[in-house]
Amino acid sequence: MAAGELCSDGPVLLPTTVVGSYPVPEWLERLKTDYHRGRMSFGQLNDIHDVVIKAALHDQTLAGIDIVSDGELRRDNDIDYFLARMPGITIPNPAKAFYFDYYTADLDGTLPGSYTDPPLRLADDFAFTARNTSTPIKFSFTGPFSLARRVRNHRFGSDRDLVLAIARLLNAEAHALAQRGARFLQIDEPFLAGCPEEVGTAIEAVNLVTDGVEVTWALHVCYGNRYARPRREGHYDFLFPAVLDAAVDQLVLEFARKGYEDLPVLAKFGWDRDVGLGVVDVKSDEVESPELVAVRIRSALELVPAQRLVINPDCGLRHLAGSVARAKLAAMVKGAAIVRAELTPMLARESSSVAIAPDSVI
Amino acid sequence: MIVDFRPHARLRGRAPVDLDKAVTPVVAALSAEEADLGRIRVVCDWVQYRENFRDVVDFRPIMADSPGTDENLEIAVDVRRSQDVALRELTIRQLHDDVVGRVFLEDWVPGRDSRIWDFNALYWSALECWEKSTGRGYEQALPGGESDARNRETVRELISELFGMWQPLAVSGALPEELYVIELGVGDGNQAKVFLDEFRDLDRTGGHDYYRRLHYLMCDYSQHVLDLAQETVVEHSEHVSSFAVDATKVRATLGFLRHKVFLVYISNVYDNLPTDEVAQLAGRSYLVEVRAYLPADSAAFIAESVSADPHELPALVHKLLRLGPVLLTEAASSHFTDIDAAVEFWRQIWSSLRLQERYVPLGGLDNYQLAPSINGEIVRSLLESGSDIRMQVNNGAVASFVDCLALLHPLGKLVCHDLFVTELPDYRTSFRGPGKYDGSVVNWVNGQLLAQVGQREGFEVRYAPFSHRNGGNIVTMTAVARD
Repeated sequence: MAAGELCSDGPVLLPTTVVGSYPVPEWLERLKTDYHRGRMSFGQLNDIHDVVIKAALHDQTLAGIDIVSDGELRRDNDIDYFLARMPGITIPNPAKAFYFDYYTADLDGTLPGSYTDPPLRLADDFAFTARNTSTPIKFSFTGPFSLARRVRNHRFGSDRDLVLAIARLLNAEAHALAQRGARFLQIDEPFLAGCPEEVGTAIEAVNLVTDGVEVTWALHVCYGNRYARPRREGHYDFLFPAVLDAAVDQLVLEFARKGYEDLPVLAKFGWDRDVGLGVVDVKSDEVESPELVAVRIRSALELVPAQRLVINPDCGLRHLAGSVARAKLAAMVKGAAIVRAELTPMLARESSSVAIAPDSVI
Repeated sequence: MIVDFRPHARLRGRAPVDLDKAVTPVVAALSAEEADLGRIRVVCDWVQYRENFRDVVDFRPIMADSPGTDENLEIAVDVRRSQDVALRELTIRQLHDDVVGRVFLEDWVPGRDSRIWDFNALYWSALECWEKSTGRGYEQALPGGESDARNRETVRELISELFGMWQPLAVSGALPEELYVIELGVGDGNQAKVFLDEFRDLDRTGGHDYYRRLHYLMCDYSQHVLDLAQETVVEHSEHVSSFAVDATKVRATLGFLRHKVFLVYISNVYDNLPTDEVAQLAGRSYLVEVRAYLPADSAAFIAESVSADPHELPALVHKLLRLGPVLLTEAASSHFTDIDAAVEFWRQIWSSLRLQERYVPLGGLDNYQLAPSINGEIVRSLLESGSDIRMQVNNGAVASFVDCLALLHPLGKLVCHDLFVTELPDYRTSFRGPGKYDGSVVNWVNGQLLAQVGQREGFEVRYAPFSHRNGGNIVTMTAVARD
């Protein structure tokens, strides 16, 4: 199912969504760090997470986002939330000087081949979000390739085996998510751009994650956004042709910061599924105007049909100030609306001319 | 009363400090004068700079949080000079308000906004006049007599690292066509020349063709300095561009290079950028405010030498700082017959210049803007790291550092040679500035703070002794992307 068809009021052309993370204000950073230093209990921090997730949902709704996320606000970063709960993984030093730091994670035990009770409990997180919004939800989680990159592998013979084992675990999580009502799941691979030679393994693992889970699947690959910095400078051609074999419905890519020169790569290699088009630079505090967003969407339309475009920021909004993120989302929604208004009459004309054509032939 | 004797190491060794001489006369003076000893702290430093902004004994009010609450008082003693003076009498004089006759050159301001930074800027903009007057170049005034960036072995190592990084990028087609290197603070251009010469030679030897793609950006505050530096690197002119840049606002000029620069190379710049000092005293955070002044006797002497009254000095100094010594002779011709006289005036004022200090409570660390994108919360863990502490926050260096990091390519590196305090406890045992280096200001750079700032920006910051000179205080800082 295309992402636009998930919208509650019927199919939406150029649906707007987010990639996943939402700004973490300084006070929340301090509280999260306090937790890691033993100055706050887990229960207290969990309460705070509940509150900030509700606020993030509210912000997105006010901005007019069609498909919202929980902002990944329970997670310290893109890795630790998953690894710390994974069977077989040990965290030698669970204290942190700063909450955003990565844990050191060791694989000392075994990752089971199957799961009756998925250990990451991502479905519980989704259920909380679903209880607090009536807007369609995208639920994102870090993919097996990137998670494996942060594990010191003392167990498996090869890193590929570790990647695939994590993929099987995430597949169990995905099944649980779908059972609890998730309809749109996204796999994030933030480390993939730094290892272009391993894209084949990453895609093989993606297909294990999505296997048998009947939802709309997106795969997000950017050039890195940790501390709002790219991990690599290059081009998306490294994804191809391997990504054509990925069992996903949508590629969510970064364009606003780097420019749209990479967009033809998708057409060149025959990507015929949806594209999550990054139209907002999340590494810059400068707020784009709706007109600029519209220009970016129009330029993409020269290569990708409107029905296959989903409008989103380049990546997660975590590193932006809240006020900047809200302004960027509002601009994104307005920019999409501008182009949508231009397209709707044209599409109507096209559909009516298609309807007339048989008669004229006769 | 608290007595904080910081230079512990000076109590031992071949010529140990006589604690009796350093502290007892101060305490005796305070006892005799019936001061409220419960509100007094005595701190003893070893001020290593022969030219500095302190008197042997300084009184520093510790301001109260709210009106109606009594101030506390810090009495600072320079142990290096206290051994041979009548310390008790000096302390008593200060207790009886020795500020009478001082000629103040400014009102209370945070350290970074002090007039001393105008003097610093004047030194660099009118360096030629100063050097002519002192008879020596500024590099001779540096501890090793030569800027550290000129060390060829260091430069070759840096270039080899760059080549090692570029090679796999070139293989995978991810090496940009233009290879950017930035040098901040170019001096006479010899640092750039060494780098470019070595780069060209190593490139030829390796057959890489990197030199053709190299863009070396020389950045300096002074266009005049840049012009001179350009002459030095004239044989590399096709690969060199000059930018007049305020080191604290690098992105304002070079923002177009965001994520594109492979090496930012800085040598002895950070210690010369404006800074505040903050302190944690008895669990409360303070900003150190300063007021530049001339002691009464010095003011009288200098005023007489330029046919002026002491009360005219602030205006003359203001003119000097605004116009420089050359134009000062025109603007105040009745006081200065020629440029030499104006420079002599400048040197005398600088030599006599002192800073009065006070501690002002910081209402909240987040209300203290340390640099454009960083508030005082960044220093919380440093301030709350144990017992009382006072330290530089190097506002100018932090702003410059953050701006430079933003320019770095994902695999880029920042290398900086400077005076760094790498361990926080050093602030509790050593004086770290400000001092006077020739006509400029020097403050050691808070290495722990820069490491923290770098970490929040996604960088790992490391310190190591400068590896190509034995002894000396120069430390090499490197910053590369972490995780």
